[in-house]
Amino acid sequence: MSLPTVADPLEPAGATVGSGPPEAATRRSVGGDLFRSVLRNKKALVGLGLLLFFVVLAAIPGQIAPDNPRAKVYPPGLGPSSHHLFGTTAYGEDVFSQLVFGTRQSLLIALLVGGLATVIAVVVGVSAGYLGGTTDGILSLITDVILVIPIFPLIIVIAAYERNSGFLTLVVVLGLLGWSYGARQLRSQTLSLRTRDFLEAARVRGERKTYVIVHEILPTMTSLILASFLGAALYAVLFAAGLQFIGLGDPNSQSWGTMLYWAENNEALGAGMPYWAIMPGVCVALLGAAFALMNYAFDEISSPALRLRKLERQGVDADGADIVPARPPDGKNILEVRNLSVAYASEHGPVVAVDDVSFELAKGEFLGVVGESACGKSTLVYAIARLLGAPLAGEITNGQVLFKGQDMVTLSDKQLRLIRWRDYSVVMQSAMNALNPVLTIGAQMRDACEAHSTMSKRQMESRSKEVLRLVSIDPVHLLSYPHQLSGGMRQRAMIAMALLFTPELIVMDEPTSALDVVGQRSLMVQIKELQEQLGFAVVFVTHDMSLVRHFSDRVLVMYAAQVAELGRTRQLFGKPLHPYTQGLLDAYPSIHGAKEQLLGIPGSPPDLLRPPSGCRFAPRCPHVFARCHDEQPRLLEVDGELVRCFLHEQAAEQVEARKEGVA
Amino acid sequence: MSEPLLRAEGLTRHFAVGKLLSRQRLHAVDDVSFEIGRGEIVALVGESGSGKSTIARLLARVYKPTAGEIYFDGRPVSSLRTRRQRLGYSSDVAMVFQDPYSSINPAYRVTHPIERGIVLHRRELARRRRRDEVERSLGEVGLVPAGRVAGKFPHELSGGQRQRVGFAAALAVKPKLIVADEPVSMLDVSIRIGVLNLMSEVREREGVSFLYVTHDVASARYVADRVLVLYAGHLVEEGPIEEVIRRPKHPYTQLLLSAVPDPRAELGVSDAADVGEPPKVIDPQPGCRFRARCPFAIADCETVTPPLRPIGPERFVACHVAVADAEDAALERV
Repeated sequence: MSLPTVADPLEPAGATVGSGPPEAATRRSVGGDLFRSVLRNKKALVGLGLLLFFVVLAAIPGQIAPDNPRAKVYPPGLGPSSHHLFGTTAYGEDVFSQLVFGTRQSLLIALLVGGLATVIAVVVGVSAGYLGGTTDGILSLITDVILVIPIFPLIIVIAAYERNSGFLTLVVVLGLLGWSYGARQLRSQTLSLRTRDFLEAARVRGERKTYVIVHEILPTMTSLILASFLGAALYAVLFAAGLQFIGLGDPNSQSWGTMLYWAENNEALGAGMPYWAIMPGVCVALLGAAFALMNYAFDEISSPALRLRKLERQGVDADGADIVPARPPDGKNILEVRNLSVAYASEHGPVVAVDDVSFELAKGEFLGVVGESACGKSTLVYAIARLLGAPLAGEITNGQVLFKGQDMVTLSDKQLRLIRWRDYSVVMQSAMNALNPVLTIGAQMRDACEAHSTMSKRQMESRSKEVLRLVSIDPVHLLSYPHQLSGGMRQRAMIAMALLFTPELIVMDEPTSALDVVGQRSLMVQIKELQEQLGFAVVFVTHDMSLVRHFSDRVLVMYAAQVAELGRTRQLFGKPLHPYTQGLLDAYPSIHGAKEQLLGIPGSPPDLLRPPSGCRFAPRCPHVFARCHDEQPRLLEVDGELVRCFLHEQAAEQVEARKEGVA
Repeated sequence: MSEPLLRAEGLTRHFAVGKLLSRQRLHAVDDVSFEIGRGEIVALVGESGSGKSTIARLLARVYKPTAGEIYFDGRPVSSLRTRRQRLGYSSDVAMVFQDPYSSINPAYRVTHPIERGIVLHRRELARRRRRDEVERSLGEVGLVPAGRVAGKFPHELSGGQRQRVGFAAALAVKPKLIVADEPVSMLDVSIRIGVLNLMSEVREREGVSFLYVTHDVASARYVADRVLVLYAGHLVEEGPIEEVIRRPKHPYTQLLLSAVPDPRAELGVSDAADVGEPPKVIDPQPGCRFRARCPFAIADCETVTPPLRPIGPERFVACHVAVADAEDAALERV
């Protein structure tokens, strides 16, 4: 569990300063977010309501209970009546009044034990995680020992020894034994934070260790600390009742557990006083349920994938669809994408991340898809590969993806499994995340082979060796774990896995962006060589124009979910039509010629929740004119290329006129 | 000659690796010496694993050197004893990190690191004036309107904007040197230039020096005056950046230059796949660490570590084979 994050896969999209949704500018502190999410979560509301109910009982029992719980003034063993809601005890006390007065102690135990256990868990867990080394060793050992101690027998022993010592002892004993689970979670969360740069930044700034722990680490773990508290409180309610029931603890105290103890001693169930025995149990269960429900709710709130609503297919309509130069499928194309739209659900409505994109890919062709972050290029390839499941929660809302003539959009998961990896495969951005860290490269290749083929063990081994050699990795690394390989080797291993069944299409999402320039260049050269050798088609996604310059046949430039330009590589680099393409090209400092002042592309891509009404590039475009702000340009055909820009309307009209002339 | 702003002498950092019984030492940085002048931008260039981030962290006092010394304004850094002295150093040397998505605490508004820097290092500033100062720093790095940006949480800003926040936090403590560890490598190409331009502007305006750590020589040329080329923990070449780019002497520098991304350039001849990588230097023997990838290696390279030697005005190279320009010319005549 981690701190509540926003489930927006296009995260930087909403980040443009000054252009984000107005309400987003003021809301959204971490605390405020949590509060809002609680109000929207049914489990949290029910849990909170229950807890509130018991808090009221505990706070003003005298006003609610009809009688003094200790007054033995009624006939013993009465059944329920209007005067005695749950009857009377064997001693002539009112059961309902006892329940109401017992609330205070049970609730106090829960809150105090929860608090004590959480404080210990935070101190131990965070210190162990942050200080590391010997401190971590010792603290983790203690935590683990406490975690495996059979707590209930131990508590019985302690409580029996400290018999009748009462309430405080119970709290201390339960608190001292109940923190270990939370401590372990907090420790691992702290460990994962330790490599985050903001902690190093704080140290470089000159902060003290205590400041770093209290002010930098703890605030990022509020929901985990809360969960730890609720978990400990739940455990305290159950254990306290259990202990008091078997007669450990002060039998004269006023609590649900002691009620159970006396009810049991008087065989209440058999003696016609069922409510005396049942109702305290029900109360314990309800209070426990309150804590458990809130705990579940926070779990959901902090892992947003659990709460995103599914998108209605008709929720997004693809209006103003572009006319695609009609070319019938002639068997030459391995992939045809037609009017594809993909949307994500967000709190503010659907975000259209791919908006009516069409293109085709011939067999053995290399298509580069370029654009900045949050322009929808990764979403596009995930949609093509049908990988838009959780946690991305994107949905194809319109269009077709024809792979070898088959519409991938309508394929079932089972049908997809048959062709995925065999006919097409995917290479992800970060090999470290895509590879399983606890399996060797060889084992992972074997898994892939087993899942997708009927190869024999020997065949699998020889095929694995073969593909590793293809990517210049020594087959001894079949026995290596991913972390033993360098970044470049891991990416090459990923490509080797993608090649296991010589697919006809490989989709690559920024496979080189985690590498430095030398590694990038050598990996690109290798991909291209393999492609020429094996003849597969490639869809290659990147934000770096220089990578596709020498390796792709055609380039698709995406901006703000739409196709900005699509053309042959040489033509597109030689004479870029769209100002955005020009901007991407001008962003590179060169080592040749005189040093020039560059500007890049000022600003950032628009928020896809509310894209600009006219041309989406207009706010950043150096050639912008009035019309660009009012009207959306259509995709035009110029010199056999497609471009979405008013600047080329005349040229496009000429093309059309010529076509008509021919017709 | 006057004392440079920062002088590193024989800077060395080893890390213990392996299990308790088979303790080995990873030589991340070995015997590296260099200087950074006042108002100078020095690029530290090398591949992943070359030790450049370790040097950045040595300068920022995240690590202590295994051997060697850093002199800042002439004073040895190892002599900083009291908290006040160490705080003084933190305010003189600030750092900007590589990953804009993890360098700002997500639990606070983006102004948090800027405010903390001011609280720690500019105590004279009254509480009321701090707010103005925070907004001024945001404006200084081009985050406008500053009042509006100040209310944002990190996830509401783009990567480029967060990286600007990183620079604002560094600048807020009025440093003399900013160590920028690959500040643009995780940003989109389209916005890298903006951040690089920001570095130049800050240098012009505030006279701050930079150590710009990068693997991209072209971006180094764009902002830096001088370059240090690092390979497997050794400094292999040093000089004014234009000179080094025009006449790279070390075979490794030549390899780095051939890999520079440039969408307008044709594919070079030397672009045959070089699948080598900087070695992990564990308990090394003497010898040139680049020899396995070097097309010009000779017998000496196996046994003798080439020292960094001068080969021209302000030019140094650590290579048995590389020759000075004059000798180059002489060879051509023969």
